[in-house]
Amino acid sequence: MKGHEDKYMTEHDDRQIRDALKQYCPPVNTELRRDLWPDILRKLDHHPVRVPWYDWALVGLSAAMFLAFPRLVLVFAYHL
Amino acid sequence: MDLLQRFAHGEIDAFETLVRQFQGDIYAWTVRIVRDPGVAEDLTVETLWRVYRARHQFRPNGNFSAWARRIATNLAIDHLRRNRPEQSFLAEPAGVPQPDPVVQRENQERIQQAFRRLPAKLQVAATLALIEELPYDEIASALGTSVGAVKLRVFRAVRILRKHLSQAGVRPE
Repeated sequence: MKGHEDKYMTEHDDRQIRDALKQYCPPVNTELRRDLWPDILRKLDHHPVRVPWYDWALVGLSAAMFLAFPRLVLVFAYHL
Repeated sequence: MDLLQRFAHGEIDAFETLVRQFQGDIYAWTVRIVRDPGVAEDLTVETLWRVYRARHQFRPNGNFSAWARRIATNLAIDHLRRNRPEQSFLAEPAGVPQPDPVVQRENQERIQQAFRRLPAKLQVAATLALIEELPYDEIASALGTSVGAVKLRVFRAVRILRKHLSQAGVRPE
């Protein structure tokens, strides 16, 4: 019986907390007030997409391999 | 070639079209989580910038909106983590609540403060489920998790709030 009462009180409290959250957290305006494209474009200009150093290393390594062993180009082309 | 394929190939015109089409949706989603229009605008710009940077990972037959929304959700969670209030919530001992407007306002502030101090993932799940009353499957998709996990997060958020508010002597009316 006690356990049943506790469970009821817990559910009651939980419901009160849910109601309080809805009551006390005011709704926000979800309308975007301005176009964000200029900001995005500026950010793209200021932070150009960089190729990571390991990609450049891989390209350099591959080029060196092809120069040293030209036949590897055929093997490479076969696997593409 | 359709718009999403052109975007995936890095065409800036295609990206601009997508930005104009989806910026409102991404902003609306973000502001519901962070509940601050200025912060939501900044995070929307950051989201769309990351979307462009990650365009190679996007499959043109995929759902652009869901993909962008997931990136926005992760950024919003990071923001909440970084801006979690430091101060302790347990300011006063437990007491009997009074139907006084001043006390009610204090309670409101404590509830909001306790809510902001929840772990970011729990806070986001609780915001979207309890305040915004969005469907659990939509929340799960944006969080990249299961419906069961979202329900568990909401359950834990409510329990933590109940404990904190009880210790501070706040009884929600």
